[in-house]
Amino acid sequence: MSETQSRHAQILNTLARASIPASKSFAEELLDNIGDVEVVQNRTGLVMLPMHDTVEGTSFHLGEVLVSEAHIKAMGKEGYGMRTGRDLEASMAMAVIDVAWQAGMAIDRIEAFVERQAKQQEKDDDDQMRAVEATRVNMETF
Amino acid sequence: MAYVATRGGERAIEQSERLFREELGEISLEKVAQIRDALPYLVDRVMGEASLYDQDVAALALTQAGGELHEAVLLLRAWRTTQPRICVADPVTQAGSHVLRRISAAFKDIPGGQVLGPSLDYAHRLLATEVLSGEKYQPPAVDRADHPAPRHQPSVSKWLADQELVTPSANDDTPTDEIPDLTREPLLFPAKRAHRLQSLARADTGGVLALGYSAMRGYGQAHPTVNELRLAEADVQVTHPNGTKFSAGRVKISQAEVVSKAKGEKLDRGFSATFGWNEVKCIAAATLDLNAEGAEKNSAVEEEFFLYHTEGVESSGFCIHFKLPHYVTFQSSLDAMRDAKRKKDTPKMEAAE
Repeated sequence: MSETQSRHAQILNTLARASIPASKSFAEELLDNIGDVEVVQNRTGLVMLPMHDTVEGTSFHLGEVLVSEAHIKAMGKEGYGMRTGRDLEASMAMAVIDVAWQAGMAIDRIEAFVERQAKQQEKDDDDQMRAVEATRVNMETF
Repeated sequence: MAYVATRGGERAIEQSERLFREELGEISLEKVAQIRDALPYLVDRVMGEASLYDQDVAALALTQAGGELHEAVLLLRAWRTTQPRICVADPVTQAGSHVLRRISAAFKDIPGGQVLGPSLDYAHRLLATEVLSGEKYQPPAVDRADHPAPRHQPSVSKWLADQELVTPSANDDTPTDEIPDLTREPLLFPAKRAHRLQSLARADTGGVLALGYSAMRGYGQAHPTVNELRLAEADVQVTHPNGTKFSAGRVKISQAEVVSKAKGEKLDRGFSATFGWNEVKCIAAATLDLNAEGAEKNSAVEEEFFLYHTEGVESSGFCIHFKLPHYVTFQSSLDAMRDAKRKKDTPKMEAAE
């Protein structure tokens, strides 16, 4: 995976879990300078989630996850948003931020936005996992 | 089975449905959100049995059904058919899932240690009746550790394979869009393992528990010990149009692997996983999986028996259909009874004459 693709993956990972009101508001700001946007897709739908069984290693389907999806074209790039849930505006906001980042528009602002969201997600995860760590059994054998 | 067309029930049917809905009252976004937030384990159960993951939609189904679980699952399974399938995500792996609870009852010192996570396993079951007197119950906060637990935990199974206690699992490289899928093809027997595990993942919790429990009590061939139980969050890994892989978010999953001492040198194992956090279902379903091989025909642990009878929508649907009018079939049974009685009484009458 190239460095750009790796950074792209990090950004998409963060945007898919980013605050919905903050994402919508930021995407609105970016839209003013994006120009014409072709909406290829904006819908809710299902993503089938497979899993590997630990006994025989068989791949099987756990079930389907409801997601919202947005696929747009602007500034010669394809922007894409997909996140769990059914909020079409949330996935559209993600696609708008994505297309702007790929086109190199407002890079500093986008990187700063993603950084803020990533830090918040890291903080939430850290808090959750410190609570989990408190439940670790320190076994003593008598 | 036969039916007879009748008229005259239209008004009663309409008012009956109105009565059901009137008693439940208004449904609002706030009400649905309250149910989603207050009853996460119930929402998880419904999502697992519906085979559809979305907490809001599941909470809405529960609200609309007044908490009648089979009705809620049916609503979700029906609604699911209105949605297009966009893609198949990358498979959830042991190494990739974010583990929030992970224990083993078989081995004390597993790699990564025993992490209880959120659990009532060792709690006193006391009802907080003071709440009904107007007091609030405020749960005590967790004393968080000064460092986070690792987000990922190694697989206990792999550890056992390294010790040659179990046969290492193969790497299934089936392309994701070719994984057998029960929602698009029929369940045939002997079932593909992918079908068995998918069917158990969407099975009715109560049904799986009843049959799994029968195996645990001795009606099966093997007694389970929980080798690994996990409650986790899994990434929904999808692909951007330009090829970049990313996570569209996380979903809660639970999984159990059970082991049993075998006649040979390796342990026998059973596995199950489902959407949401539902430990009872996973342990019971893994027990059925453990017992299935070589099971006696028509026993509770025989694959065809437990897969058919734990399909919640079909079983509840078949059960409740018996309350719908069967006037013709039942009348036919009565006619047969009367006819038999008449034939039985006829010789006596002749003898009396």
